[in-house]
Amino acid sequence: MTMLRASAAILALAAAPASAQTINALVWCDHTDPEFLAPFEEATGIRVNLREYEGTGAALALLEQSRPGDWDVLVIDGIDVPRVVEAGLMAPLPEGDLPVGDFFPEVVMEASTTRDGVTYAVTEKWGYNTLSFNAARVDPADMQAGLGALLDEEYRGRIAIYDYYLPVIGLAAVHLGLDTQTLTADDLPAIREVLFALREQSASVGEVVASQTALATGEVDVVVGGGEWLTAALSAEQPELTWTIPDEGAVLWTQSIGVLADSRNPEAALEFVRYVVSPEGQARLATSSCYWGMPANRMAGEHLTEEQRAALRWDEQDGYLARAQLYPAPDAALDAAMQDLWLEMLQR
Amino acid sequence: MSDRARGWGLVAPALLWTTAFFVVPFAVMAAMSLARLDGRELIWGVHWDNYAQLAQPHIARAVVVSLEITLTVTVISVLLAYPLAAIIAFRVPERWQRLALLLALLPFWTSYVVRSYSWLLVLSRQGIVNQALLGLGIVQEPVTLANTRLATVTGFVHFFTMLLTLTIYASLRQLPPNYARAAADLGASRLRTFVHVILPLTLPGIVTGAFLTFVLCIGDYVTPQILGGNNELTLPQVIMVQLGRRADFPLASALALVLMGLVALAYLLSSRWLRIDRV
Amino acid sequence: MRALSWLYLALLYAFILLPVGALVLFSFQDGRLPVPPFQGFSLRWYADVLGDRRLMAALGHSVAVAAGSSLVACALGFLAAYGLARHALPGSALIRAVLIAPIAVSTLIVGLGLLLLVNRLGLPLSLWTAGIGHVVINLPLCFAILYAAMGDQQRSAERAARDLGASEAQVIGLVTLPMLAAPLAAAFFLSATLSWDEFIIAFLLTRFEVTLPVEIWSLLRSGLSPRLNAAGSLVFLVSVAVVVLLEILVLARRRR
Repeated sequence: MTMLRASAAILALAAAPASAQTINALVWCDHTDPEFLAPFEEATGIRVNLREYEGTGAALALLEQSRPGDWDVLVIDGIDVPRVVEAGLMAPLPEGDLPVGDFFPEVVMEASTTRDGVTYAVTEKWGYNTLSFNAARVDPADMQAGLGALLDEEYRGRIAIYDYYLPVIGLAAVHLGLDTQTLTADDLPAIREVLFALREQSASVGEVVASQTALATGEVDVVVGGGEWLTAALSAEQPELTWTIPDEGAVLWTQSIGVLADSRNPEAALEFVRYVVSPEGQARLATSSCYWGMPANRMAGEHLTEEQRAALRWDEQDGYLARAQLYPAPDAALDAAMQDLWLEMLQR
Repeated sequence: MSDRARGWGLVAPALLWTTAFFVVPFAVMAAMSLARLDGRELIWGVHWDNYAQLAQPHIARAVVVSLEITLTVTVISVLLAYPLAAIIAFRVPERWQRLALLLALLPFWTSYVVRSYSWLLVLSRQGIVNQALLGLGIVQEPVTLANTRLATVTGFVHFFTMLLTLTIYASLRQLPPNYARAAADLGASRLRTFVHVILPLTLPGIVTGAFLTFVLCIGDYVTPQILGGNNELTLPQVIMVQLGRRADFPLASALALVLMGLVALAYLLSSRWLRIDRV
Repeated sequence: MRALSWLYLALLYAFILLPVGALVLFSFQDGRLPVPPFQGFSLRWYADVLGDRRLMAALGHSVAVAAGSSLVACALGFLAAYGLARHALPGSALIRAVLIAPIAVSTLIVGLGLLLLVNRLGLPLSLWTAGIGHVVINLPLCFAILYAAMGDQQRSAERAARDLGASEAQVIGLVTLPMLAAPLAAAFFLSATLSWDEFIIAFLLTRFEVTLPVEIWSLLRSGLSPRLNAAGSLVFLVSVAVVVLLEILVLARRRR
């Protein structure tokens, strides 16, 4: 049996897929959920090869090191779309082809997804980096009060910080009353102080599963940088795990999808993008096993269950959006400085 | 064909493979460590910028953290594994020894990644260890064990105790049994027999195992990443951040060479007793 | 003293087996979280894992890479060991050192170096590149085991064969290889085990098709769930089954 499988795998290796109906996509982990992907592959016969990546820098390096035509679809942080568009990596998307009119207007992000009237990417999913917490163990009023309340002695050792520098730096900036979109190196010392103070209070800094585990097992009671993406999937089992947007605000994350300029299979790639932003595709992506998030397309609401909409706080989005700022989009130099600051904070 | 030519013909494939896929990559890495990244553009040449980064406290700290963890793990693992190997070799009846060893190596057969993850569950505040401590009344409140250095060290010690038990057992079994008996006949106490006869004879086995532990431990990314809670970063973690988030290959290469330097240092310090070709 | 030994043995076994026990126990968790309290027995996570196309594909890839890279490593290691043991070569100590060197280097360094090389050559990453990396780390092991196993017994048998007119290829195929069957098998399974469990090289050097540890790693990054326990337990059960099978085969052979 094993031998059979081994020889089958070797055969599969030898016959590297070169079929026209295969596309290669550089994505975030939520796209790897079979429940999201399988319906598309079955309906169209197009096979989607996926590769996950961590930071935009790594994605750019991967694209640079690949041969032209290796990649067809790119999922990327909404704020980083201009970087890839400027680098000439993205193909224009056909006008009026995608249902952008049905999108939540606040997350269309026209300023970054279009250039000179041409659209290069569309938002596919969004949400907040804010506070996730265990409502049975902390006072929700404290959470509403924001980061300041977490610096209280009472919360020492009960906090986890989500290990991604941009959103958490954004939260610190929001806490300081700064505009996240106009941050400069001069703002870093103040941000550093907030980060280091939070670090003093925290028990761990972790990625998605580590943060979820910490919260779910009672290791910590608050996750800074959390949000629906962290706790919505757990809410069915542990309804006390919830999230909010403090009065001081929080940061908004978006992820976009587009077709790469040198794609060898632009038709199939576009077909995939169409599926992703369709109401059905959006609903499946919103509740993907890796993490949940709000769908960009409002029509996806009809394909979500009552419980799913509640976990995502479907009906409270207006108030939330009003309080949220986009997370920082630093240039290369500021980005490097922020990453250094982050490493320094981790290493304390 | 001459004898020598035939010999070369036999050695050539392995030598070529190691050269092409180990020596050459290593040279590329060395060159890369001297390159510089300007924005996203790679500038080759001889720049010491990457090595200068070692002066940054958070990177220097990673070197220290890595060394501290690795040395702790190596020492504890040897101390735990030696008695276990000795008990299996000398107390467990001959026909059960294989089974005893297999049992001691059982967790080796789960996936490496999963093993670290299961420690996370065992050590969590609701985990088995805390439940036991609470149940026995040793503590009143759950203690924080996961996401600490203690957790990282526990995960490592778990793995390397298994590994060392195997290597030490092997060298204990190779001891000629009459040596110990002779020492006893000459009136040596158990302790003296151990210190003067058994220990020196098994030292190469111990040192070889300890060196392997050192190499594997200091270069490991998975265990500290899963169990350490990012409360301190080891050198491999810093290298992976450079790769995964910034794609800063020059800095990652320089740090990898530093890691390599630490391994080389360990090699020099232990080379007297090392028997790598007889692992 | 004796009682103390047994107590120590019991304690260490408890320590060694604890995480695996917890892993397997909570793979049967009837709930979304693999932590105490145990909410009841369920096999649904196993069904989930077995129905996961990517995970099953990764399993197949792991078997292929482990078998392929071990075969290559054993073949190269055997030829080199034979060449060095049976032919006087200048600088043979240096050659041995070069062949052994990769074992004394962290896999992270091997992986990073290969990644840089592959990038510079503009080649795509695939299971092949990961397999190449696995051969690099397994070759020293196979070489060392086989070199140590080439003793004088074989040498005289080989000489006898040669005196009777056998060519070098015949000597290797009909005398040396059969006599080295046991160490060859040991080298093969040891390197297959290492490759099966290896993470960082496979992580750095694969692209779409990944090996099992890499797939499990992405599961781990993507959400807490007893699925991970089930996947880990399955790997465990499969590996143990293979080990037990080998053990039985070896024992059966010894009895003969």
